[in-house]
Amino acid sequence: MILERNNVTVSGAQGAPALVFVHGFGCDQSMWHQVTPAFAESWKIVTYDLTGMGKSDLTAYDPERYADLDAHAADLADILSALDLRGAVLVGHSIGATIALRAADLAQERVARTVLVSPSPCFMNDPETGYHGGFSKDELAGLLAFLDENHLGWSAQMAPTITGQPAGEPAAEDLTQSFCRTDPEIASHFGRVTFLGDFRETYATATRPALILHCNEDALVPMAVAEWMQSNTPGAALEVLEATGHCPHMTVPDKVIAAMSRHLERPDGG
Amino acid sequence: MADRPAPVAGETMAELVADAPCGIVVTDPQGKLLYLNGTLRRWLDLSEEKGAETGARGDEPTRLAELLTLPGKLFYETHIAPMMRLQGHAREISCMLEVRGGPPLPVLLSGVARRDDQGELARFDYTIFDARERRIYEDELRTARRKADELAAIVRSSPNAILRVCANGEISSWNDGAARMLGLTAEAALGRDVESVIALAGHPGWFDEARRICQTEEEAVFEAEAAADTAGTPDTPPRPARHVEATIVPIVDKADKTRPPCYSVVLRDITDRKRAEQRLKMAFAEMQHRVKNTLAVITSIARQSLPEASRKAFIDRLHALSRAHDVLSDEARKQADLRDVLALTVEEAGGPARLRVSGPSLTLPAHQATSLSMAFHELLTNALKYGALSVPEGHVEVRYEREVPGGPVRLVWHEKGGPPVTPPEQTGFGSRMITSVLRADLAARVTFDYAPDGLRCEFDFVPDKVTEPLAP
Repeated sequence: MILERNNVTVSGAQGAPALVFVHGFGCDQSMWHQVTPAFAESWKIVTYDLTGMGKSDLTAYDPERYADLDAHAADLADILSALDLRGAVLVGHSIGATIALRAADLAQERVARTVLVSPSPCFMNDPETGYHGGFSKDELAGLLAFLDENHLGWSAQMAPTITGQPAGEPAAEDLTQSFCRTDPEIASHFGRVTFLGDFRETYATATRPALILHCNEDALVPMAVAEWMQSNTPGAALEVLEATGHCPHMTVPDKVIAAMSRHLERPDGG
Repeated sequence: MADRPAPVAGETMAELVADAPCGIVVTDPQGKLLYLNGTLRRWLDLSEEKGAETGARGDEPTRLAELLTLPGKLFYETHIAPMMRLQGHAREISCMLEVRGGPPLPVLLSGVARRDDQGELARFDYTIFDARERRIYEDELRTARRKADELAAIVRSSPNAILRVCANGEISSWNDGAARMLGLTAEAALGRDVESVIALAGHPGWFDEARRICQTEEEAVFEAEAAADTAGTPDTPPRPARHVEATIVPIVDKADKTRPPCYSVVLRDITDRKRAEQRLKMAFAEMQHRVKNTLAVITSIARQSLPEASRKAFIDRLHALSRAHDVLSDEARKQADLRDVLALTVEEAGGPARLRVSGPSLTLPAHQATSLSMAFHELLTNALKYGALSVPEGHVEVRYEREVPGGPVRLVWHEKGGPPVTPPEQTGFGSRMITSVLRADLAARVTFDYAPDGLRCEFDFVPDKVTEPLAP
């Protein structure tokens, strides 16, 4: 059952239209916890973990099936249908934004619009089309080698020892890092899909109006990408946030909430 | 507080932080660098400039992510920064520092989030440990694990049953091949005594026997029908018996050779080979039968068509051939003992008083036994006609010996007490046949010495290795 498999959580106003939050590469639905309460009064709030991440059923992650974003988008469309949502707004972060766009295309009858937080259609530069994604092919090839060595993140071979912990921390604490921790092989695989994929087509063929939130000092997504999305995504509005980093919903949740509220209140917003 | 030892002076504390045996970094909650300690500056090859205020110079890094190579940058943005906010810490994250003009430095990064009095995030403190040695060790570990995985994959996908059996006979590993061949899952087999799980027909106590053999030999090999005890696993369909070759090899603990070894037990399914051998054996028996019949037919034709003068010699030669075949066809043998071959000749010569044989038991392959049998027949015929056995007081001594096992055999046919010998003026059919047949089949050196007091004939040859007899 998809609702258990993807650890789907439903809260907020029952009977109201739904805001469905999609997390990105690295973490899980807990990333949204500073944003969702602001909408809980007038929206139904749906959060979930992508297959293979967080508390989803990790055994359901078949690398072949999830070699693209299609399966993730199909999962989201299944969730919309399992909850029988209509007029939903999909809110995705980073690669989760691209998944939201695809799902919106798959389930057009259920989705009113999308909110894309720090999205990037493609992290790799494409000199042929003059697209500047932020990273050269060589740089990303280095990432591949790193992923192959499985060095990204934790050294899975070693039992970690506690270092730099405040004295108050219980010593017998579970050593696994509960947040943002996932199976290293899945992380490595999903990292490839995220950083090596080229999803410009998904943006260029978007069928639902989108709000794009971009941080002016995003270390992963240059301003040029935000401009590309604004001019190439049909019906897209761009808002640039004064913020550092790739996760404004965590670092400056108030700004994200304000931008979303403005956008969702617009009469043409559906 | 006053009772306690004096706290470390502020200056010492500052030194401790600056020159700590690890890198120390402080950032604001947005990842902007507030402090880098001296150790980390040295690692990064940054100038030793003091001052908490970084970012003043153009080439100074301003954000923690900038200290890391690309994968670390991505990981910082997607994992570390969220973790610091969500759970207040990050631990032992493996990444690499970008070092100016040098190779990247593998490190482990741990961080703690600090909050102010209002509970708002104030700053992130990180420690960074040099992980070069640890990385080398991990690489070795990874290589070793990959090799082990490859080996395990070979064992897993092998069509042979491969198991590991502890010194006490308990099965400790059971591959898929074993499950397929014997119709018993690993779950049903592991931890049980190997002899109670696998029966080898005709070899009760085969594992004990193998252990005994392995004390002196490198391995123990059995060929037998194997059956697994599938009682208690009711879902197992009945399986046709498989003929297997079981090879048992001790696995000696290299660290402690005195410990009783475990054993690798490999069962190879040789059912098809056994069937082929069975067919070959039947074809062989059929051949024997036909050869005998053919010789009988030729004898009969010779008896009816050859002139009296040459008839007997020819028929006697055929008889000798036929008898040699008898020796070999007993139990479809592929080998014969030289003693048995000579026993036929002794009989023809008139008993052991006339033909005195001395020599050890010596196994010969079929083709060599046949050739020797023919040669003895020729020598005997000659002796009976012209040599020592043509007079009542004469006899023949046949001696053979082998000085080293596996070495050459010297056989001497010595006639004594016969009429004086004169060397033949030309080589007769008999000696020509002896020489050519023995050369061809035994690579023998043959010498004839026509000494006046008795013919002396010597063969030097190396018996071929006898292949295992066909199992019945």
